[in-house]
Amino acid sequence: MALPTLSRVSGGRDLWSPPLQRPPRDPEAAVWKVLGEVLDPEIPVSVVDLGLVYAVAVNGGTARIRLTFTATACPCMDFIREDVRDRLLQETWLGEVVIEEVWDPPWSTDRLSPEARGKLKRLGIAT
Amino acid sequence: MSGEERSGQGTAAGPEGAAAEEDLKARVREGYIVESPEEMTEGYRKALVVQLTVQADTELISAPAYWMAARHAPSTNTQVSAHAIIQDELAHANIAYRLLEDLGVSKEELVYGREPNEFKHPYGFDQPLENWAELVVANGFFDRAGITLLSDVYQNTSYGPLKRALVKVDMEETFHLRHGEVWMRRLAKAGGDAREMVQRAVDWMFPMTVEWFGLPDDMKRHSGQLEYRLKGLTNDELRQVWMASTVPLCESIGLEVPAHYDEDAEVYRLDYPFPCRYDPAEKRWLFEDGAITWHDVFDRWKSRGPMNEIYVESLRRSRGQVSRWLNGREA
Repeated sequence: MALPTLSRVSGGRDLWSPPLQRPPRDPEAAVWKVLGEVLDPEIPVSVVDLGLVYAVAVNGGTARIRLTFTATACPCMDFIREDVRDRLLQETWLGEVVIEEVWDPPWSTDRLSPEARGKLKRLGIAT
Repeated sequence: MSGEERSGQGTAAGPEGAAAEEDLKARVREGYIVESPEEMTEGYRKALVVQLTVQADTELISAPAYWMAARHAPSTNTQVSAHAIIQDELAHANIAYRLLEDLGVSKEELVYGREPNEFKHPYGFDQPLENWAELVVANGFFDRAGITLLSDVYQNTSYGPLKRALVKVDMEETFHLRHGEVWMRRLAKAGGDAREMVQRAVDWMFPMTVEWFGLPDDMKRHSGQLEYRLKGLTNDELRQVWMASTVPLCESIGLEVPAHYDEDAEVYRLDYPFPCRYDPAEKRWLFEDGAITWHDVFDRWKSRGPMNEIYVESLRRSRGQVSRWLNGREA
């Protein structure tokens, strides 16, 4: 019997593509692109489109990410940090990921990308 | 949704009513979407009310069950995550009760007017969740059963308002499942006491969830929910969908479950007599006593489990109290 399988069970990890075969020419652009695959654990919008990533710096094999959350009591912080780290560490040219949490400036809906706004609207979430 | 077994199949009396029922069944089979009570037959309305009541009660009662367990959270942040899940469950309950109000059913009466044993949530939510491992396995197993049932409803339901409401519910349940999976993995990986606790939780909660999907297809002659296309898959199919995602998860993190995949038949098989007796005091399934009948299972469900009254009362307790403070009388 061919039954449907449950999709999206892992939340946040559905769009992960295979890691790059060789080191990219522009590592920072590559990190931004990869972070664009890390979705919020509840809603299918990336942490980049949500405006949670403040800065990216790559030095040697170390990626430094300045990351914020939508609220200090965000219930998904743990999972978002884990997803950012796990996805970046799939890239063989990265050996270390340092996540620096930033609360200043505080996140607001002004940071949402037009793509995020469109998706949230279609999902019935007010922005 | 297993509450279906306990309800009568509603069909309107008389040949005219029966013809209307058959006509609506034929139309929804062709993809017709019902949008308002005026388009419903009595049979359709009754089947939908039962389905939504089971859905609403399950979400509602999961809240006190999870809330009492959330105090075992290992840190403030993890407690915030657990409480976010509880808040979601209450909102999901409200969505389903709100849909029931459209059908002329009183939310007030459902939440505050019934005896605790009249609620239609599954027996699994009559059990105490007594530590962090039991809470996260509830997220991993019970919420996965919820998402299995509700994704099927979302994909197949002929009731438009319910389909639209489930978009948000489905997204949030995905987070609950994630919470369950991540923590089950962490506890299993830690080994020692942590692994033992999560294995003990799995031991009673796995068969509990398998039973949740209800009567096997070969014993179920008639399903209003399928005929009115209020869902798409049968009980056994839904049980298979649940096992197909649960068994590999548990195996991948080294947790034992009493089920295996039968490659020849391409189905999951249970490695214990099903259905069987359960000892709620010991939280143990009595595999050694052999199989019982579904009649016995329905009796156990009907007499409810140890936390039934406590959970229902915990939702109601403060309501009268606060209104007495404010008004000097009961609301």
